[in-house]
Amino acid sequence: MANSEFVYVTYIKTTPEKLWHAITNTEFTKQYWFGARCESDWKVGSPWKIISDEQLFDSGEILEINRSKRLVIKWQNEWKPELKAEGYSRCTFEIEAINNITKLTVTHVIDKKPSKLIEAVSGGWPKILSNLKSLLETGQVALESK
Amino acid sequence: MTTEFVYATYIKSTPAKVWEAITSQEFQRQYWGDGISADWNKKGSKWHKETSGACSIHGEVLESNPPKRLVITWVDAAENSTSKVTYEIEAIEDLVCLNVVHSGLEAGSNTAGKVAIGWPRVISCIKTLLETGKPLNTWAGLDMNHDKDAA
Repeated sequence: MANSEFVYVTYIKTTPEKLWHAITNTEFTKQYWFGARCESDWKVGSPWKIISDEQLFDSGEILEINRSKRLVIKWQNEWKPELKAEGYSRCTFEIEAINNITKLTVTHVIDKKPSKLIEAVSGGWPKILSNLKSLLETGQVALESK
Repeated sequence: MTTEFVYATYIKSTPAKVWEAITSQEFQRQYWGDGISADWNKKGSKWHKETSGACSIHGEVLESNPPKRLVITWVDAAENSTSKVTYEIEAIEDLVCLNVVHSGLEAGSNTAGKVAIGWPRVISCIKTLLETGKPLNTWAGLDMNHDKDAA
């Protein structure tokens, strides 16, 4: 079956440890995820969710976790019925130190083509990851609101 | 079959400053990794970029509408292929969305592989440069084979 995939690579003036904290610390995620937060205890098999205004936006499970290097999440949208109907996608974060900067690759994939979920996240990831980069480099996000 | 590479980024800056970062040689030298010879403000002007090895690129300015839109052709001398790059700059409240679309790439070609590796480096550096005043050395110690080997 054909896949739909979104890949975004960004280079950030930070360390893999700080980037890892930014991705996995619930309070920190609120700062760049437009008020939404990621919750999990970050262990393989543990539930994972994104909550905004006390409503569940996305849910899933931690499939793979390798501190400061790699995180794979089984991810389903819970907010929009047409996205939820597509079922589970898979989102992989890869972190790599290169000299004194850090490369982050986010790959979001689902086993359908076309996919409304991948279309939606293709618009969302550049905003979230632009914010994350600004926050780590300057202490402030670029976009305050969606 | 052709394919395209699309990369959007949001920058805390103004359209005029983003335009300057894209078109001025002083800025370009800081994020292209190598010199670039171009006047991207003038339609019809020829440009070229020299990098080490066989990665020589040149082209022509097809459209230049400061500070909103720039379209250039992209000829990869190693493959003798011509593709097209469109920069779109859009102001959104107090920031800028920079959207780069590299279209007309032959799917699976070396050029398509190289630009997918290169654009995130170039654009990450432009964002850092505009937001912090300092370039991000995304090319140091790297060559185009680094990511290819890792993939």
